[in-house]
Amino acid sequence: MGNCFQSQNSDDISLLRGSDAPDNGHGQEPLPQPVGPPPPYQEAEVVPVYHPSPNVSRPASQLTEEEQIKIAQRLGLIHHLPMGVYDGTSKKAKECVICMCEFTFGDTLRFLPCMHAYHKDCIDDWLMRSFTCPSCMEPVDAALLSTYETS
Amino acid sequence: MASMEKRLQKELQAMTKDPPPGVQVDQESCSRVMNEWIVDLEGATGTLYEAEKFQLQFKFGSKYPFDSPQVTFLGPNIPIHPHVYSNGHICLSILTEDWSPALSVQSVCLSIVSMLSSCTEKKRPPDNAIYVKTCSKNPKKTRWWYHDDTV
Repeated sequence: MGNCFQSQNSDDISLLRGSDAPDNGHGQEPLPQPVGPPPPYQEAEVVPVYHPSPNVSRPASQLTEEEQIKIAQRLGLIHHLPMGVYDGTSKKAKECVICMCEFTFGDTLRFLPCMHAYHKDCIDDWLMRSFTCPSCMEPVDAALLSTYETS
Repeated sequence: MASMEKRLQKELQAMTKDPPPGVQVDQESCSRVMNEWIVDLEGATGTLYEAEKFQLQFKFGSKYPFDSPQVTFLGPNIPIHPHVYSNGHICLSILTEDWSPALSVQSVCLSIVSMLSSCTEKKRPPDNAIYVKTCSKNPKKTRWWYHDDTV
């Protein structure tokens, strides 16, 4: 955990400003607006869209408290599911049934407690809608909790 | 969305190469718009619908396969079946709440063929008249009440 919110690298902006600096003080006419505050952020604020259940899409701002908790729990649980890189050794898992593409070397996979494997990006997208295995419909959270209890 | 189109291409290939018995994709319909297919169905031999021809329309949203396709019967011959309304809407749980991205056009067609095949009496749903008058055009907007698992 801890990498849910990847911080944006703000270095590019400071580098741009830095390259302007040597020009100052050489008698050049200052630009009409040398260093003012940056213009207000114009782009419309993007509200992430979540899917409390399949076929339901709702912007984060319109989720009920119950749905917010559900989604936060899912986000947390997804991070506990094992991941791996496809190395071609598994004879069982050959294809991701979500995108219907064959696994290729180096693909990042995620394994569910029922042992079904999918591309990480494909299954994470589904798990955020429904916490079940697409292949066997096994509820993932129940299986996850029972593995904790037995180990 | 690119991944959705890629998956639809794969499904079309599979349906063309290896179609389930009595099921045929109308190639012309898919070549016009990739996200709307027409599928021809034929009632299985030895059932109440033997030799009857039906047409199914599939509409895929941009979130397919995470969202279920919109599937309705189309054309002059709508099967008379307790789960099929006279406007072509189908009461089938895998088309809404029991949808999984591991399902496909092929598996939906098979479910519909088997739903028809297991029918013992040709009749419309009991609430057909009121439903057809009041429903949305999109059957996915209906709050289906799956009350009968036997057919």
